[in-house]
Amino acid sequence: MSLLDRKLLRDLAALKSQALAVALVMACGLAMMIMTRSLILSLETTRDTYYEHHRFAQVFARLKRAPNAVRDQLAAIPGVATVETGIAMQVTLDLPGLDLPAVGLLNSLPERGEAVLNRVYLRSGRLPLSPSAQYELAAGEAFAEAHGLKPGDTISAVLNGTKQTFRLSGIVLSPEFVFEAPPNSALPDNKTYGVFWMPYKELATAFQLYGAFNNVALTLAPGASEGDVIADADRLLAPYGGRGAYGRANHPSHRRLDDEIRVLTGLSIAFPLVFLSVAAFMTNSVMSRQVALQREQIAMLKACGFSNAQVGLHYFKFSFAIVLVGVGFGAIGGIFLGHQLVGLYHIFFRFPQLDFLLDSRVLVAASVVSSLAAFAGVAGAVRRAVRLPPAEAMRPEAPARYRPALLERLGAARWFSASFRMSLRNIERRPIRSALTCLALALATSILVVPSSFRDGVAYIIDFQWDVVQRQTVTLTLVEPGPTRGLADFGHLPGVILAEPFRYVPVELRAGPVTRRLLLQGLPARGTLSRVIDAHPRQLTLPPRGIIISAKLATVLQVRPGDEVVAKVLEGEERELRVPVAGLAEDFTGIAAYMELPALNRLLLEGDRINGAHLTVAAGSWPEFLAAVKNTPRLAGCMIKNSVREGFRQTTAASVSLLQKIYMFFATVVAFGIIYNSARISLSERSRELATLRVLGFSRGEVGAVLVGELVLLTLLALPLGLVLGSFFASGIIRTLNTETVRLPLVLTAANYAFAVSVVAIASALSALFAARKLAAIDLVSALKALD
Amino acid sequence: MPSGPTPTERSLPAAPREPVFHVRGLARIYGEGTAAVTALAGVDFDLFRSELVVLLGASGSGKSTLLNQLGGLDSPTHGTLLYRGADLARFDEPSLTRFRRDAVGFVFQAYNLIPSLTARENVALITEICRAPMAPDEALKLVGLGDRMDHFPAQLSGGEQQRVAIARAIAKRPEVLLCDEPTGALDVRTGITVLEAIERINRELGTLAVIITHNAILADMADRVFTLSDGRIVNERTNARRGSVRDLAW
Repeated sequence: MSLLDRKLLRDLAALKSQALAVALVMACGLAMMIMTRSLILSLETTRDTYYEHHRFAQVFARLKRAPNAVRDQLAAIPGVATVETGIAMQVTLDLPGLDLPAVGLLNSLPERGEAVLNRVYLRSGRLPLSPSAQYELAAGEAFAEAHGLKPGDTISAVLNGTKQTFRLSGIVLSPEFVFEAPPNSALPDNKTYGVFWMPYKELATAFQLYGAFNNVALTLAPGASEGDVIADADRLLAPYGGRGAYGRANHPSHRRLDDEIRVLTGLSIAFPLVFLSVAAFMTNSVMSRQVALQREQIAMLKACGFSNAQVGLHYFKFSFAIVLVGVGFGAIGGIFLGHQLVGLYHIFFRFPQLDFLLDSRVLVAASVVSSLAAFAGVAGAVRRAVRLPPAEAMRPEAPARYRPALLERLGAARWFSASFRMSLRNIERRPIRSALTCLALALATSILVVPSSFRDGVAYIIDFQWDVVQRQTVTLTLVEPGPTRGLADFGHLPGVILAEPFRYVPVELRAGPVTRRLLLQGLPARGTLSRVIDAHPRQLTLPPRGIIISAKLATVLQVRPGDEVVAKVLEGEERELRVPVAGLAEDFTGIAAYMELPALNRLLLEGDRINGAHLTVAAGSWPEFLAAVKNTPRLAGCMIKNSVREGFRQTTAASVSLLQKIYMFFATVVAFGIIYNSARISLSERSRELATLRVLGFSRGEVGAVLVGELVLLTLLALPLGLVLGSFFASGIIRTLNTETVRLPLVLTAANYAFAVSVVAIASALSALFAARKLAAIDLVSALKALD
Repeated sequence: MPSGPTPTERSLPAAPREPVFHVRGLARIYGEGTAAVTALAGVDFDLFRSELVVLLGASGSGKSTLLNQLGGLDSPTHGTLLYRGADLARFDEPSLTRFRRDAVGFVFQAYNLIPSLTARENVALITEICRAPMAPDEALKLVGLGDRMDHFPAQLSGGEQQRVAIARAIAKRPEVLLCDEPTGALDVRTGITVLEAIERINRELGTLAVIITHNAILADMADRVFTLSDGRIVNERTNARRGSVRDLAW
């Protein structure tokens, strides 16, 4: 080891706490980068392997009923490589011990051999395929876990009006249900919605579909156009009640997974950028001070014949040592957080195995990026140092020049104490350093605003969606649309106070080149249970003519009230209708469209039909109501509002609280690091001044106040700035997060702001106290000594 | 500029009176065992109000260590150090701070002004924290800087800076003014104006002034002169009359 390197090690040891503060801030950025990039790698690798091994299809379609012969016609479509057909039916479940009715999606398993596409993965037990396997089914893992179901347990389901009891043969996973959530739902509700598999013959027989299918999955030949295949499949399936084929991009499970990866990609760039910039600034302040302190040493080295390059390299090594520690901590932190998040992903995404895969390329990238940041931070200080002619460097630096601060020049001087003036003038004398310190503290404050705004946004949605929009107790859905008189049957269920009908019909809305598939909802013109609300929020009356769409959908379709959209009905006979947009609704669950129920029925030319009803049920009759629902035939679903609401709250609470903890930790590290470093640098620069004050009779506390005075001022400036920045970040992030399936409103509350301000203020105060402990070690006698 | 003091006749106190500092057998040893360095090896003296005392000695003679002891910046290893009858060696940290704040005015060789504060503010910084100070303007006028009050240290000459430091030291009306080589960094002419300021404060306010210096010429302006060598007082001289500061030359 060269003697210069030995000097480096000893200098580092002397500066260890400051170097550590910088390294920790750097580590926060790197941890975030390593975590997000590795999670992306984990999710993508796992997904791709899973899709490949279990042959996840590329095009999907649902229909009413088509004879098995149609399967060959599907296979003959140009561009289609493989075809899998089967049956998927939604049924009501009855679980022992669960008083709420749950909904199950029953999928068929091929009669012979393994499925060609969308093969299931057996987690435990066996598939219900043996000859003796009657009344057996396999359950999806998420539902089974939520209910503690094991192979051998029993479960009842109402199949086509007949209640049957099944034995669970096994627990399975499917690439089609990586995200196992009810249709049109942004979040899983594993308590009341599950996916099941049973032999084709048994399922088909129960629904009088033997020899037919209602569910299609396709893969494409290499080079085939997905759009063409979808168009051909739609034409072929239309006579059989086809509801429109769609590609992977519109597959609910696949899309949700894609959204997650997209969000991670955004986070993997934005956050590291912020933290590494702060770290670069901190490296710069530490190194500038170090170079200033070692002015004479640099002069000596140069006088003795060391080259500028050697001296420069010496100080670069100093910052690289910090980078090394930062990368080390960052990697440990990133891997740790990554494991935590993988655990959290298990709630949302079900894979045979989701392991945390460390993206080793990102480690290299992280080292390079943080080295560059450190390099940028240290370059200026080193350049100044090596430029200095040795003779000049041997002399002490000229005394600092000051002038009255701006506020004083404006005439406010007489209200300020001498120590307050010192702080103001010190801030003004180094405007860039002060501004960057302030900015770093503002960033620390701002990153705290983001997760709290998520939390408050979720709370707002919960209230808006389930208190303002949906005021029913429960929603019952029929297996297929039925006559309106069914409403009366619902009304006669025990405890029902009010029943309002609804009709759902899958449509494709088109305006110009843009199309969107969704469920068009037919509701009473001015219902009291499921209501259409605008942004104000006022209830909208559905007009006898025209359609009301969600504001998000209007943006997507680029239409305004008064414009016309084309609605292509995707159920039954294919029809295209032109309808005017009558108004815009607020809807946080994504894109939505509403029509008055009779108007919708008129358009569909099929008489008065409904898909189900929203009900208010008297609390006292709840058990009787549930018991009756469990035994009601032809029910496809029973959604209990409070259960969905609770599920939504719990799943979002888990992820938001983890996010909040991570951000809080990071913000604390930044605030602590910045204040600690600034205070230590101030202490070093002003040690003589502070020692003088002690000799002149200032107490340790009073000198401490002088030391941190300017930091207190900068913090006070930074806090409001941080709140503004944070609101800006929250709005930006929420805008990118908002997809057509999940929409989060921007909610900023006083409690959110108060929390962010408190965390940064407390971290700053503790850090300042910690740094001010060094005041005890200040050498009073040194103040009496003359400067050489 | 203040008018130079005329030579004054001063008789030393005839009757015993209470000393400001009562020092007996004062020793300060740094380190232990073979590495021990004796900076003070038993100093005895009493210092009284209104006296102007010069401590003379070469570098390493122990004069700075003695000043640190008197100023409450360091504690003795052995011996007695009483300030107005109170044992300074037994003072805890807050009491020492209190003592420096209320009783002691320090003048440093390197002035040690706060660069971010003007002359007036440097003085006000101290008057804000002590009990019955004079107004900063008054203190600055006493040292002849009435017209430079709003200048920052970087805008003042060395002599002016040192006089601001003196104004800062006396504004609290201290019992004792401790000056560490106050003219060390100044040329003769400027040094004289600084010494005149110290002499005037001593004369007009009755402050005990202790000047440490290696410059023997300053001895003429003192009431008493102590010469230190190897941590001991090797000579004590009482001037029958103080010489005029204006007549000093080095």
